[in-house]
Amino acid sequence: MSAKRFGFILVLALLAAPTVARGQEPRLVGRIPDAARARIDSILAAARVRGLPIEPLVDRALEGSAKGAPPAAIIAAVTRLRDELVVVRAAFGETASTAELTAGTSALRAGASAEALARLRKQRPGQPLTVAAAVMADLVAAGVPADTAVGAVLALAHDADDADYLAFRRNVQRDIVLGASPAAALAVRIRFASEAADAPSNIPTTGQSPTPKRKP
Amino acid sequence: MTDREDPLGGIIEILREPAELKPGLTERVMAEIDRLPPAGVLTASGSVSWWRRPWTIRLTPLRGLGLAAGLAVLVLAVYFGGRRAGSHAAPEVPEAGPATTTGRATQFVLVAPEASAVSVVGDFNDWSMSATPLERAPGDGVWYVTVPLAPGRYRYAFVVNGAIWRSDPEAPAAEDEFGRANSVLTVGGS
Repeated sequence: MSAKRFGFILVLALLAAPTVARGQEPRLVGRIPDAARARIDSILAAARVRGLPIEPLVDRALEGSAKGAPPAAIIAAVTRLRDELVVVRAAFGETASTAELTAGTSALRAGASAEALARLRKQRPGQPLTVAAAVMADLVAAGVPADTAVGAVLALAHDADDADYLAFRRNVQRDIVLGASPAAALAVRIRFASEAADAPSNIPTTGQSPTPKRKP
Repeated sequence: MTDREDPLGGIIEILREPAELKPGLTERVMAEIDRLPPAGVLTASGSVSWWRRPWTIRLTPLRGLGLAAGLAVLVLAVYFGGRRAGSHAAPEVPEAGPATTTGRATQFVLVAPEASAVSVVGDFNDWSMSATPLERAPGDGVWYVTVPLAPGRYRYAFVVNGAIWRSDPEAPAAEDEFGRANSVLTVGGS
């Protein structure tokens, strides 16, 4: 490390120290109006106390700032995300990573229930949930009904790894672009995935819990 | 009891008598000793003792400081050289869209022939318009940048000419609460 770079880092650290000491998030300084920043800092402090990750909350505040949103809208968005993180962490467990919790909030917002997320955790013990939860949200965003998307992800939970989930979602989206209805595209792809796993398709279309498959 | 009756006593008497040395023996022994190399001289059989013998190094304070500085530079060079060699980013994934990425190097691409500047903002760069500018490919209006990302789900958007927000046409849409569309990128890890 050059002396110049070391000096630069030292100056940054000295400048940031008072902000950190006052419990303020340094990345929000200069990007969020002071009044709103104080409120967000208090939300972040409470989140830390509860053991919630603050990165997603800071990102949401910075997104609002970058988009020129009014302070009240930024505070509302951060508060809502904080509440969603609480729900997802209860479903995924205390050891869930920040990436899992963030993806889980997207699934929750897309229409997955807390119970469905808890089932996902139960059906993928010891495996990361980030991509599975993200695919839930992505399928809904692509037009697949929420309960059908949730059921599809749960049906794949035993056998699919991240690459399988991503390929599944990509194929469904491709079929939709080619003209298939979202529900039909998903039904075709989940049947194909089930046949590939040598197991009967049990994708629900009304949101009921699918029967877990066994690896061949 | 006579000597003949006590053989052990006779042997003792014989051994107690001074031995007669050949003439000149003492001189020959001393001459051999003189021919031996002096202690510390390196020979084939004496190299081990050379390594074990303590050294005395005399340094002036100035030369000592110079030597210490040289050693420090050497250690730092080895340390940072090793770090640089081990910090190569993952090979770039030359995919047209980011939504199918399973690695950590993710390529963002936007076709915008009319743009003079494009950047990508998102959860991975604090939504900063200056953090991740895209580079324009020569001639065809294709803008691109590669960003190393950890597994996760990221919301992002392109900003054209510093003011126009665009979602990624190749990626799924993401929820938005602030009135400007987002795209979403999922980076897998297993």
